[in-house]
Amino acid sequence: MMKYAKAIYATLIVVFLLSPLLVILPLAFTSSAFLTYPIPAFSTRWFEELVINSVWSRAIVNSLIIALATTALATVLGTLAALGLRSQDLGMKSQIRTLFLLPMVVPAVVLGVGMQALFVRLGFNSTYWSVIIAHTVVAMPFVVISVSGALTGIDRRVERAAESLGAPPWKVFSLVTLPLAMPGVLSGGALAFATSLDEVVLTLFVAGPNQRTLARQMFSTLRENISPAIASAAFIIIVGTVVIAAVLMLSRRKKA
Amino acid sequence: MSENFIRFQKVTKDYGTVRVVEDLDLDIARGEFVSLLGPSGSGKTTLLMMLAGFETVSAGAIVLDGQKINDLPTYKRDMGVVFQNYALFPHMSIAKNVAFPLDMRGTARAETAERVQKALDMVQLGHLADRLPGQLSGGQQQRVALARALVFEPRVVLMDEPLGALDKQLREQMQLDIRDLHHRLGLTIIFVTHDQDEALTMSDRIAVFNHGQIQQCASPREVYDHPANRFVAEFIGETNLLEGTVSAISGETLTLTLPGGASFQSHGLPGFSTGDKGLLSLRPERIDIYPQGEAPAGVNTLAGEVTDTVYQGDHLRVVIETAAGRIIARINRKVSEWENGAKVSLGFRAQDGWVIAP
Amino acid sequence: MKGSPRLRALILIAPLLFFLGLFFVWPLITVITQSVSDPAVSRVLPRTADLIGDWDGEGAPSAEIQAAFRADIVGATDDQAVGDVTRRLNSSKSGFRSLMGKTVTAVRENPDVDLAEVDKRWADPAFWKAIQDNASPYTDSFLLAAVDMERDSAGSVVAMKEGTSANFTILMRTLWTSALVMLCCLVIGLPYAMIAASVTGWKRAVLLGAVLLPLWTSLLVRTAAWMIILQDNGIINQVLTGLGITSGPLALIYNRFGVVLAMTHVLLPFMVLPIYSVLITVPGNLMSAAASLGAHPIRAFLRVLLPLSLRGVISGALLVFMTSIGYYITPALLGGAGDQMISSVIAEYATRSANWSMAAAIGLILLVLTLALYAVYNRLSRDPIQAR
Repeated sequence: MMKYAKAIYATLIVVFLLSPLLVILPLAFTSSAFLTYPIPAFSTRWFEELVINSVWSRAIVNSLIIALATTALATVLGTLAALGLRSQDLGMKSQIRTLFLLPMVVPAVVLGVGMQALFVRLGFNSTYWSVIIAHTVVAMPFVVISVSGALTGIDRRVERAAESLGAPPWKVFSLVTLPLAMPGVLSGGALAFATSLDEVVLTLFVAGPNQRTLARQMFSTLRENISPAIASAAFIIIVGTVVIAAVLMLSRRKKA
Repeated sequence: MSENFIRFQKVTKDYGTVRVVEDLDLDIARGEFVSLLGPSGSGKTTLLMMLAGFETVSAGAIVLDGQKINDLPTYKRDMGVVFQNYALFPHMSIAKNVAFPLDMRGTARAETAERVQKALDMVQLGHLADRLPGQLSGGQQQRVALARALVFEPRVVLMDEPLGALDKQLREQMQLDIRDLHHRLGLTIIFVTHDQDEALTMSDRIAVFNHGQIQQCASPREVYDHPANRFVAEFIGETNLLEGTVSAISGETLTLTLPGGASFQSHGLPGFSTGDKGLLSLRPERIDIYPQGEAPAGVNTLAGEVTDTVYQGDHLRVVIETAAGRIIARINRKVSEWENGAKVSLGFRAQDGWVIAP
Repeated sequence: MKGSPRLRALILIAPLLFFLGLFFVWPLITVITQSVSDPAVSRVLPRTADLIGDWDGEGAPSAEIQAAFRADIVGATDDQAVGDVTRRLNSSKSGFRSLMGKTVTAVRENPDVDLAEVDKRWADPAFWKAIQDNASPYTDSFLLAAVDMERDSAGSVVAMKEGTSANFTILMRTLWTSALVMLCCLVIGLPYAMIAASVTGWKRAVLLGAVLLPLWTSLLVRTAAWMIILQDNGIINQVLTGLGITSGPLALIYNRFGVVLAMTHVLLPFMVLPIYSVLITVPGNLMSAAASLGAHPIRAFLRVLLPLSLRGVISGALLVFMTSIGYYITPALLGGAGDQMISSVIAEYATRSANWSMAAAIGLILLVLTLALYAVYNRLSRDPIQAR
């Protein structure tokens, strides 16, 4: 009796959690001009719309440029910092770590207001750089967390062994530490990429009309007129995320 | 020079206010197999880590082959280290692992391949060269770690409880393998362990550690038969300790009189004077048990009653209550069996006892 | 011997520290200064602002102050900035508009003219008082306005007239909506986490996967999906009308219901995961042990499992509450005009009316609130490993 109640409850919540994703995916292929069920016929017209309509295609290109640059910047900065945080000798370590994680906590709107005010004063608001920098600030914590996690998984004795076998510090790093931390670096990079792809709020403040990203474009479309192009764009984002996750899982499995 | 290949001179290590190694002196000869034995926290691993260069030396000097190496980075020390958890590179094949130290030294590719193959054959793992460490059993991994630490012909091989993670049977096999390699290759090996059987089996000399100091450093036989103090006597093997006063000294034989009036002839540490307090260490297997009053002449005897016997397969552990206190004896079952309550006489020869300072 | 390890660590974290200092800390400091700074008057009239603080407010100010004022007017070449000052002063004391226009023309012609001769109003201390009040480059008026307060003419803090500003109402609404979301997450998430921790194998994988998958997919996509589900001709309304349960579409979107539902969905993982991670450390046989000691299952739950999961519950609740008070996208898309949260107000001030000081002032309140919650969360959830 109790067992059935549990099973039914769990099923209901799983449906609640997953249904939005299941609902939006098929609509990417609707032939209708409305985002409603039932779907009259399947068509790829809305994917074509994303390619043909320059507003959407430009947004996709912008998103890719910005997300790739953000990923590169956040991964490099975050990985270096995670390596530094590993040291036993660093003072104020927990305070520094808290600072590194804080961008995840501070409300995006507040950060956006501050960034816009500052970037305008520094004279580079509404450029690709302003967007990339803003995205890097909020994407970087994921890299720090992910790489730190991978680093704590490394047995110090393995590095000591390398040193005792004749490897100078930089070779220990390049031949042992970095390869072993690589899964963490990769998943940190993937999270940074996904974060940038999905970022709307900061983009509203620091991007100009020329840096309109896919997420920004989806946001204004959702506000103004809901078009099935939204579902197609969502499909691309979801499939992109799943592909990245799958590639990461596979590369990790191979290592293990 | 070969006498003092490695010298620890007044070596001290502090962690903050905690002194883990204190004013320690130890000389190790080339080709020697020295075990560092002691309870955990006694400083033995710290000493090894200082020798390997993983820990700094707070005071004193470590000298290798006439050169002070306190400030020499680990990677220039040319020491092969074998860790308890093997510490293989999980992302490199077995062959790559073993080739690592040769690559670091710029050895030519053909020579590297040849030496790696030879090293792996030496530990009977030549056929697994392309596997990853994760695909090997614990014993196999430890043999790879051994091959990796030996392949570059290091000046010294350091082993930090290398067999601790293996099961008993494998451990005993590896002990013999390592001892064999030591003899065959003439290696200088420093071996940290908390397992006394392992130390007794493998070493030329054992350094017994406690509280950051060496209590005794001598051959296994010497450490077992002639412990330098109470800690060594109790830490290595099992022993009965009887406290008394030295009442006479004749050559190497002391006479120890117990408070109850009984007195024994025994060998002991030099330096005792008549009237000194002494502690008789009596190994259980050196004690013979006879029916009461039937002990042969010329041995020390002590009357008592058997209160417990424990069957332990190859021997019998007998607990005897005597006037001098409870004595544990270990006897060969072929010789005799004893029932609880039996009245017995214990007997031991002077050379089977050892008197130390209390 | 190994370089200095501390120096090496510092060099490794320095780039990120520098980057965050420049692009994270500085923007936040900008928010803080923006919310309290009011440079309009002091920038245009720097010499006057310097001196007028010493004036006692009785009679006309000293010749020195009057000379400084004339010098400032001669030096002020940016007519737009002068216009800003005039508007500001006029709002403190009406009549300034005409007075300033007259004075500027006169002083620019003759820098040494006697002000009282230009206009007799300069002999009235009330006008000088207005300059004195606005001379400070700092003000608390924006912060007060952020919570619907202001200073009256006597300078004491009073509530604004009802109906003039809704900031405080929206702040309360934000807290209330967030509390509602937190409660929904707790009610749904706690049993779910307990079930997930009590099963094993594929069942646990499915339950956890269902929580993690939404967490990994785009927030925007999830919000869009809820819009599709909840809209008037969305699935739910189609089913309801199709079955004849309702005659017309129910209003599920652009109201509080839609906001709370979607935010609960979005934030549920933040509740489930902390509780789950605490619960899996509880030995599985604990409930059996309690039962073997004679505890009824409900009693065993109340006395054993619930107290043990409390740490996770508090962490999760704080996390959900803290995240939702700063939420912008979901309320903006799914809420009606009456459901906007504090973030929307900030965005509104910043983007639409370009009132940066108000945006910064409300932002500062939100920032302080969030950081305070985070400090509590951090203290509660700090495990010994992380603190090391």
